Amino acid sequence: MRQSPKLRFCVQTHSLQDLQQPAVSSKVFIQRDYSSGTICKFQTKFPSELESRLDKQQFEETILALNNLYAEAEKLGGKSYLEGCLACLTAYTIFLCMETHYEKVLKKIARYIKDQNEKVYAPRGLLLTDPIERGLRVVEITIFEDRSIGSGR
Amino acid sequence: MPGGSSKIGGRGPSSSPLPHTVVPPSRPLRPSRYVPVSAATFFLVGSTTLFFCFTCPWLSERFSVAVPIYNGIIFLFVLANFCMATFMDPGIFPRAEEDEDKEDDFRAPLYKTVEIRGIQVRMKWCSTCRFYRPPRCSHCSVCDNCVEDFDHHCPWVNNCIGRRNYRYFFLFLLSLTAHIMAVFGFGLLFILYHRQSIDRLHAIVTLAVMCVAGLFFIPVAGLTGFHIVLVARGRTTNEQVTGKFRGGVNPFTNGCWKNVSHVLCSSQAPRYLGRKKCVQSVCVQPPFLRPQLTEAQLAAKILDNGIQGDLHRSKSSLEMMESQSCDAEPPPPPKPELRYPGITRGNTEECSLLNKAPPTPTMYKYRPTYSPGKNHTALTHAYANQLSRGESVGSARDSSSSTSSLLQASQQPGFRSQPSLDRRDTSSERVGGGGGGERREGGREVGGGGIPGYSLGGRSYPSFSDPTVLSGVASRSSSSTHTSAGAAHVSEATTTSASFKSLANQTTPPHHPSRNGSLSYDSLLAGGDDFDKGVMADSAAPEVASGRPCTPAAGGYSSPFLSSQQRVAEMHSQSSQSPHHRHRSSHHHHHPFLHRSSSSTSSSPPPPPEKERLLSEPHPGSHPPPANQATAPPSSSAPPPPHHHHHHHHHHHSHHHHHSSSSSSSSRPPRFAVPHAPPHHAYPYRTRSTDTPLGSSSTSTTHPPRSPHPPPLGKSLSYSSAAAAEMQYRLVRKASASAGANAAGVGGGGGGGGGGGGMGGGGIQAPKFPG
Repeated sequence: MRQSPKLRFCVQTHSLQDLQQPAVSSKVFIQRDYSSGTICKFQTKFPSELESRLDKQQFEETILALNNLYAEAEKLGGKSYLEGCLACLTAYTIFLCMETHYEKVLKKIARYIKDQNEKVYAPRGLLLTDPIERGLRVVEITIFEDRSIGSGR
Repeated sequence: MPGGSSKIGGRGPSSSPLPHTVVPPSRPLRPSRYVPVSAATFFLVGSTTLFFCFTCPWLSERFSVAVPIYNGIIFLFVLANFCMATFMDPGIFPRAEEDEDKEDDFRAPLYKTVEIRGIQVRMKWCSTCRFYRPPRCSHCSVCDNCVEDFDHHCPWVNNCIGRRNYRYFFLFLLSLTAHIMAVFGFGLLFILYHRQSIDRLHAIVTLAVMCVAGLFFIPVAGLTGFHIVLVARGRTTNEQVTGKFRGGVNPFTNGCWKNVSHVLCSSQAPRYLGRKKCVQSVCVQPPFLRPQLTEAQLAAKILDNGIQGDLHRSKSSLEMMESQSCDAEPPPPPKPELRYPGITRGNTEECSLLNKAPPTPTMYKYRPTYSPGKNHTALTHAYANQLSRGESVGSARDSSSSTSSLLQASQQPGFRSQPSLDRRDTSSERVGGGGGGERREGGREVGGGGIPGYSLGGRSYPSFSDPTVLSGVASRSSSSTHTSAGAAHVSEATTTSASFKSLANQTTPPHHPSRNGSLSYDSLLAGGDDFDKGVMADSAAPEVASGRPCTPAAGGYSSPFLSSQQRVAEMHSQSSQSPHHRHRSSHHHHHPFLHRSSSSTSSSPPPPPEKERLLSEPHPGSHPPPANQATAPPSSSAPPPPHHHHHHHHHHHSHHHHHSSSSSSSSRPPRFAVPHAPPHHAYPYRTRSTDTPLGSSSTSTTHPPRSPHPPPLGKSLSYSSAAAAEMQYRLVRKASASAGANAAGVGGGGGGGGGGGGMGGGGIQAPKFPG
């Protein structure tokens, strides 16, 4: 019945299970929170699929940190203004050599996500995907199948 | 110039902007696309070169060397911004991957509503890109991409203008205006000093350059002025020409200063296409940590024999039932497994799925929990009522958080793929569908569970559910005081909206490109004849070449947003007032910001009652919303009552003939709150539908007595009355939907006067919001 897919997985990967990543069980998509407009912000509501895998606090912390980072990227500050002026003055050739403020923050975000994955999510069989890969529309959390514990989890 | 991948990744109907690869274009070459941009480049570079060669030498000698330097700098600026606007990726969204579209298209709603600063904004499902378009995003049919903060598709740069390159486009316009003025001015100076030797080559060339400059100055300056106003108001061209915020509040504006600084000073937005994919270097290996294995939780489990955990786990589904069942029958007794503490947690959870789910792998764990048995009725009623209470998507989700997420995680293929004739299955499916998933929440606005008696046996054919869909839509969006009967209709909308997403996915828009919402100047022109002259002239050139697709564009553009009844009504009025059709089509675009999913419906309503309702409206064609509402009630009732109510409508029409539109608009909310006549109570939608036309009936003096016939083809509707009525209608909806009613009322009243000024012009001339 429905045990068969699970068994199939076991049979498939049994010989390679030390090397292969566990099978992907499902994916959760954290949607954008548009309540404050089009600024990049993700919903902090804890998805129920993760209830058995992750603490609510951890999740919220991650999402809030991401939101703060994106807010920093989109901030209209002196730095971004100067960058714009410089770009204008150099007929935008400055973009060939310099990294924009947003890109810098995106790199920071990528590092943060990697860090979170290593410390918090991978040990729990989860994986965060950088939302920039999805056009900043969703944060994708991949839930890996847990074969080490019994079924029904 | 640093270039994006816009030309490569985003062009052509067959290209697909994959997230991390650049797909070489394999579509047929369309040289006509490159004509405007080539002409623009030719004129710009050619004229300026001639100016520098023939006019500037004398000027630099006669006056100062600063003249050519100044002109040179400005021209460089023009070129730089022109190149950036042309070659930069406007903010194309990569296509969503397969796994993101978890729900079966067949059941997922076409629209999803979000609340942005208190205003309901609708997000449409893009069948090409496979996601719900974020607010302000639109799909450009020319480029075949969804573009973030879509402004318009500019033929002069042969590129979409979106979030990433709007700044360059705007600066291009500003600098081009300055450049044209400088060239014309200095050319004039040259000519004035060379009046005697006017037949010399230099003078002739200068005259020619001046002519070109003078010719282009008017449209460019007009367009520049238009965009200055847009930037100040925080609107996009798309929003302006479709009249999305006409008479309403723009949720995306932060005030004039912040809007300007956002355009000019914000950091360059990142591109989504063509990014280097980061290699996932994290190794995920079991054993995995589990939150519930903490000591405290284990202790709790042991002590409570799992009840606490079970309660927690089942609470969410109970919560949903309880919160939804306010107006319906009492919630069913707790699930039996809760009374048996001996059952382990895992098994309990499975039991809580009411034997629907198999005992296992995680991916199958979260099938919808509702049994097709006794629970569903309460759930569906409650759910529908919950929807009708005007909850936002977010809050609605909260109350059904666990369950909806459960549903979201894996939809039941069994339920979804086969429309079931069984009422129970349909209902539970509805509920399951309604409760689950982000996408589902778009349907919440119009769909709860299937209500017994109104269920169409699980068939989601639009033709069946049209009237009830519309009634449901009308009821949903009208007020929070719905009867459960209203909610019953609401439920039907899910079927239609749900099925429409699948239809949308299956059928690519057959005809006009602007149907997809891309705002090329074709639809700009079609959309707004009263547009700013600059825009008109600017777009006139390509339009002349391509013919003026006014009518089809307007009709085509509006069709996705209309139900077929609206289209029917529209066609009727279209035949009678073609000059106004574009206005109508612009009004249709209010729809995205009204939480309705009626656009998905196709038509085959019971025609006579529908037409009766249409008849009763003074602007059947121009007001799909009233038409929607109008069509809603009769379909939900037996034929005799609609006839009866029509007579009441006639009375009301005659009463309100004398009211000014503004007074009626100001009095609308109270009128809306208090139904006029007892018969209206039976049809809450009717109250609204009468309100809408009545307010504007003052402007339509010729209001033939209503009779149960098809709408009069010769009915003429004035543009301003249509605008006024539409605005008042929107006003009513906003009043019921958000707290911003008061502001909207003021704006709506002011907008009523400005509505006659024309779509685009009206938007410009009548500043209605604190932008």
